[in-house]
Amino acid sequence: MREKLSKLITQNAIEDPKSLVLSGDHGYALFDEILKVRKNQFLNVGVMEQAMVGISSGFAKVGFRPIVYGLSAFVPIRVLEQIKLDVCYPNLPVVFLGDGAGLVYSTLGSSHQCSEDIAALRPLPNIRIYTPSDEKELEVCFGEAISTKAPCYIRIGKSDREVVHEKKLISSDPVTLLKESSKIALISMGSMSSISQQVAKQLKLSHIVFPRIKPFPKSILGELILYGKLIIVEEHSRYGGLCSTILDAFAENNMPIPLTTSISLKPQFAKKCGSYQYALSEHQLDDKSLKIRILQEVENLKVNL
Amino acid sequence: MINNVLLEPIELRKSILRMARVGDSVHIACAFSIIEICCVLYSNFIRYERGNLENPLRDHMILSKGHGVMAIYAVFARLGWLEQVHLDQYFSDGSLLHGLCEAKIPGLEVCSGSLGHGLPIAAGMALAFKRLKVDKQVYCIVGDGELNEGSMWEAILFSGHQNLDNLTVIIDANGLQAMGSCKNVLELEPLPSKFESFGFQVEECDGHDLIELDNAIRSKTKCKPLAVVARTIKGKGVSWMENNNEWHYRRLNDELVQDIYKEWGEQ
Repeated sequence: MREKLSKLITQNAIEDPKSLVLSGDHGYALFDEILKVRKNQFLNVGVMEQAMVGISSGFAKVGFRPIVYGLSAFVPIRVLEQIKLDVCYPNLPVVFLGDGAGLVYSTLGSSHQCSEDIAALRPLPNIRIYTPSDEKELEVCFGEAISTKAPCYIRIGKSDREVVHEKKLISSDPVTLLKESSKIALISMGSMSSISQQVAKQLKLSHIVFPRIKPFPKSILGELILYGKLIIVEEHSRYGGLCSTILDAFAENNMPIPLTTSISLKPQFAKKCGSYQYALSEHQLDDKSLKIRILQEVENLKVNL
Repeated sequence: MINNVLLEPIELRKSILRMARVGDSVHIACAFSIIEICCVLYSNFIRYERGNLENPLRDHMILSKGHGVMAIYAVFARLGWLEQVHLDQYFSDGSLLHGLCEAKIPGLEVCSGSLGHGLPIAAGMALAFKRLKVDKQVYCIVGDGELNEGSMWEAILFSGHQNLDNLTVIIDANGLQAMGSCKNVLELEPLPSKFESFGFQVEECDGHDLIELDNAIRSKTKCKPLAVVARTIKGKGVSWMENNNEWHYRRLNDELVQDIYKEWGEQ
């Protein structure tokens, strides 16, 4: 997905001379392509995330289309106030790319891990939030983000998971990847979509992915309410992420909230160093634990029915 | 674009006094501190069109110390960018103007009630204009207390590195910040050599002397951003308000207003 991101960034720079990519001295190898063909449309401001967002706001006010890159632990977390006041308040078309979201930087520890980016951004007015799972979702999310005239955040999580979609997408609305007769639906976003799709296939469960969570695609609620149980899987905190967003949407639309299980990151920092799967295992969110937990949910529901 | 309004410090102070009284508002001394800076900028330097903020050729001024915003409201009313009625409703329920700088007011450009936001945006605009090869100047008034913020020094480092010679930063160096003197809270001096070492051309002047301010801003040379360290007095213009940090927070009453008019030789 990172290679795709590099291509999208470069292609966009070629097509739009007002596109300007800003980085706070981050993004090893990601910008090699744009530097080859559109060097002037890349600006490494130095290690300064706060001013970078302000500078991007200044560029946007003058008519540029800034794309601000950072690790999600820094953009948006470190610069939340700058995003709120410098970009969201004046509703400027700045696209934020939050790379390495979740526990991607497992071996580097808590400073580089991020389970709260969506929760932090969701309450801000005007911003759109995208959570692509694979290259096809990234392509459609990136396309929407650069063409909309509003602030956007694209959350880039673990980027080398198996592809989820076979066909090209036409919008960032939720996609029902599997539709089964089971009363249980798995719902996922980003890095958890690939493994969720595997599990859904094995257990014959329906599976719905959310490439965009804000603005919330409320037309999906009518479909979700028909299930006996929703299992929502995300590499994000239970608080303020995909599960919260869906439950909030039911409440906001005065609808009954279906039986729901959240499988997500716990509110805890990394305990030990280890691989990506190891880091996920501290939250029982690694592939093996995830399968067991979902299977258990299916068994429980059978007993209860 | 060259027909600038000639602004007089006393008329701006009177306008602020009226706003502060009708609105029963705070931050009076913070606005009085930057009156002469505003007069010189809007009378002699900033290119604009009276009554028309949409003119794309206009220069931009960003108030980074958003708590001085009453001074800008007073200026905007004189330039025809704000109607007097909005100043007369200042601080009241449902009124247009907040007590700190808000980006929704045309010409204010930014939200700078939270400090450390204005200068990075000004730097971004200045670099954008340079890249577009557009002859537009960006001015930015910053507070000395505001220079406690790390984001300000990020922007200062960036502006020097990028040789933003279309950017003029004016430091309202009144030596006081919210909870005490800058010297006691967090020493900033020597400000001139700090800015110089970050790649700025630096001028230092009396921030209430119109001629000194004009000379300082006019001395701008090519290739570097300019920092004018304007030595000012918080609360300037009212003897008992000057250098008295209480007037960062205190509100006026009719008696005090009369006292001020008496000091200014008016009824």
